Amino acid sequence: MTRKKRLEKGLAASTMTGGDRIRRKYKYVDRAFILTMLTVFQLVSFIPVVFSDGKVYFKIILQLLFYISFEWFYVGVMRIFVKKVNFELEFIAFFLSGIGLCLTASVNKDSMFKQLITVIAGILVYDILLWYLQDIKRVMFIRTPLAVFSLLFLGASFVYIRLFVGQINGAYNWLSFSGFSLQPSEFVKIAFVFVGAASLDKLLASKNIYMFIVFAMGCIGVLFLMKDFGTALIFFFTFIVISFMRSGDLRTLVFICAIALLGALQIIYFRPHVAARFASYRHVWEDIYGRGYQQTRVLIYSVSGGLFGVGIGNGCLRNVYASTTDLVFGLICEEMGIFIGVIIVVAFASIAIYAMISSRSAPSTFYSISACSAAAMILFQTCLNIFGITDLLPLTGVTLPFISQGGSSMICTWALFAFIKAADVRAYPKIYKTN
Amino acid sequence: MRTITKRTYIVVFLVLAFFAGLGIMLYSFYANGGTWASNRANNHIYSGGELTVAGTIYDRDGEALVSTNRNERVYHEDKSTRMGTLHIIGDSQGFISTGIQTLYRAELIGYNFIDGIYKTISSDEGCDIKLTVDADVSAAAYKAMNGNKGTVLVYNYKTGEVICMVSAPTYDVYNKPTDIDTDKSGKYDGIYLNRALTGVFTPGSTFKVVTAICAIENIPDIYDRTFTCKGKYTTGKGKGDGDVICNGTHGKVNFERALNVSCNSVFAQLAIELGADKMTETVRKLGFGKSISLGKVKTVKSTFSLSGSTRLDIGWAGIGQYTTLVNPCQMLMLMGAIANGGQAITPYLVSSPSELLSSVTSPVSSNITLSEETAKKVRKLLRSNVKNYYGDSKFPGLEMCGKTGSAEVSNGRSHAWFTGFSVKKDLPYAIVVCLENGGLGYTHAIPVANKVMQAVAKMD
Repeated sequence: MTRKKRLEKGLAASTMTGGDRIRRKYKYVDRAFILTMLTVFQLVSFIPVVFSDGKVYFKIILQLLFYISFEWFYVGVMRIFVKKVNFELEFIAFFLSGIGLCLTASVNKDSMFKQLITVIAGILVYDILLWYLQDIKRVMFIRTPLAVFSLLFLGASFVYIRLFVGQINGAYNWLSFSGFSLQPSEFVKIAFVFVGAASLDKLLASKNIYMFIVFAMGCIGVLFLMKDFGTALIFFFTFIVISFMRSGDLRTLVFICAIALLGALQIIYFRPHVAARFASYRHVWEDIYGRGYQQTRVLIYSVSGGLFGVGIGNGCLRNVYASTTDLVFGLICEEMGIFIGVIIVVAFASIAIYAMISSRSAPSTFYSISACSAAAMILFQTCLNIFGITDLLPLTGVTLPFISQGGSSMICTWALFAFIKAADVRAYPKIYKTN
Repeated sequence: MRTITKRTYIVVFLVLAFFAGLGIMLYSFYANGGTWASNRANNHIYSGGELTVAGTIYDRDGEALVSTNRNERVYHEDKSTRMGTLHIIGDSQGFISTGIQTLYRAELIGYNFIDGIYKTISSDEGCDIKLTVDADVSAAAYKAMNGNKGTVLVYNYKTGEVICMVSAPTYDVYNKPTDIDTDKSGKYDGIYLNRALTGVFTPGSTFKVVTAICAIENIPDIYDRTFTCKGKYTTGKGKGDGDVICNGTHGKVNFERALNVSCNSVFAQLAIELGADKMTETVRKLGFGKSISLGKVKTVKSTFSLSGSTRLDIGWAGIGQYTTLVNPCQMLMLMGAIANGGQAITPYLVSSPSELLSSVTSPVSSNITLSEETAKKVRKLLRSNVKNYYGDSKFPGLEMCGKTGSAEVSNGRSHAWFTGFSVKKDLPYAIVVCLENGGLGYTHAIPVANKVMQAVAKMD
């Protein structure tokens, strides 16, 4: 046993329980093993992408090799220089992002590069945010300016979109200028968890509660104006989770939900066009060439693929609008199989379980609340996406975290991962050691 | 910190709810997969709304009625066979909703939950289905109908195999008339409907079989009675009374002779004597209010109602007029029950793959309750009809039993009916011929029935 390994073992032993200590022994193997498996999976899944249309796409090979070596490089650097010991979240994110990259490249060979850049950018944001979150003083310092700035940013974006951009897919949620576009609501998601968890850290300071409520209502209000009901729903849901984590009071939550439901009914009553957008819900088969077009195609092609899929590149859903963004889960089921689809769903669920377990031993309630609410946000968004396109829930047009093509969503999800990771004491080995 | 630890359980609830949603999603995939995958919008197997990849449908001899060749559905080479089997196998576009190609398309495209339709797509071959129908008999029946609208149905009353199910008007899938949607003359009325399954018609005199069954079961001295026919039967002199006109003046007749000559006077009189309750009970026992399941397709229910009827109405109902409407398949099964000693065997169309047969839960249908004794008596009467009245020469070598019908309808000529069966040991087949506005049962339906049954007799 080398000195390094012994050190590693000592560190692990001091932080782990008995059961973990035994498992720790195999961690070294695990990391390399998991990365190898991940690499194999990615190489295999890219084969039909690289060799398609009777050609060999060297460009795709280069980008794939870059992505794979980046994964190894990142884990290596973090292990050797930052002394991180666990990479569960990173592996999940690499796995999901890899699937997204593969499908994006498969549907449109030229769009992989951009998607690859956003993955790298996402990882950068993740590490920067993770670094920032390690000091709770920094967190408290920035929460009020962040809240004010986010709300102003969202409001200003809405005004700008209203005036200069217009609706895209029935909502005012795309900020675009000179060929570059982003979704402001995705970035406000990060601030939402941040402000929500930070302002509630001091349990008895009622001023903070009001600040968060005003901030939340402001965000949700602007999202409604933007007609981005899916994201508004995600914000509301996260608000509920944060409130519960903070107060533990179920009655208040029921009360809030009842008021929200009344509000929703009011909207449906006074603004029938909002309800009309969801009129096809549970009736998609009655209008398969109109409002039910996307959902019915997802269902038709998902089952066509069976458990193991028709093979990447052989699907039909790829020809349907938004196949690599909102409908990407259907594309996975069709081409890679329902089995891979279920694995992805399990991966999302395990993120939440990881967040829950980590948050129990988190050094501060800020970490606990932010980890759980970030995980809940990701999970809820996954629900809205997967069950929306399969007509179990109304279709709201939200993306599937990590997998859907698109930069804003990718960066936001990586940032949310920082909150989850921050709750894990092993995320900050240096701080832990000095303690 | 402790309280926070407890509250983290909210995440567990979320995950559980999430998995519940996943479970529902997978279950609906499992339960509806076949229907979804075989949807016309699935471009894996449809192109421009036409099925491009699907298995072959064979007739009972293994003759291909339709198969796939290079992403196109290829139908039988003989035009009459194509016309005669159109409504059973259906078209490639799915206009004929009761066709096998539509109802069993999930099976034809080889869908299953594990593989989806991967095997079908990768091999360009679906799963094959074998039918009980015979291509030659179907073609013969189509030709015999001679352009008439209506339906011809033949099935083996011992096994339930449907040999022939022709519905007209029909068309050639290779030469579909372009004026189907624009035509106003009515020659394409209900062209996409399989009249045998989804049609109901006024039964006319064929319904006298039902009245006869009711009489046999409820009037002990029915065979000893004599009746007098004066060309009409006057039900009485009160309100709601009137005359039931007969098709002739038959004079003194007994029960058997009355059925031979199809005397309206006698059967109207019997129906009134039996009364609405007994008639309704018999009709119910013979399955007229129930639909018949032929695998995945259910027939339309026949209707018979005497609620609020007058004596005159009951009289008309007793001879198959009034509001009574019957489904040809129902009449076929009734004939089958009479022929088979009271046991009605459920008809079926698909003979393999065998897992598709499981939809036929029991070969003996519970729809029809008929005692063996009554069945024997009725069989004798129906044999007498052919032997003593229509003439065995109308059905050379077939030993037929049967009853004709000429159902009066409000528009045009009467519907010509023949319902019957052969009692020959090696020819256990029942037949129903119904020609819409075809004329008289005796002159128009019997020749068709003979031609079809001769074709059945020649079948290997």
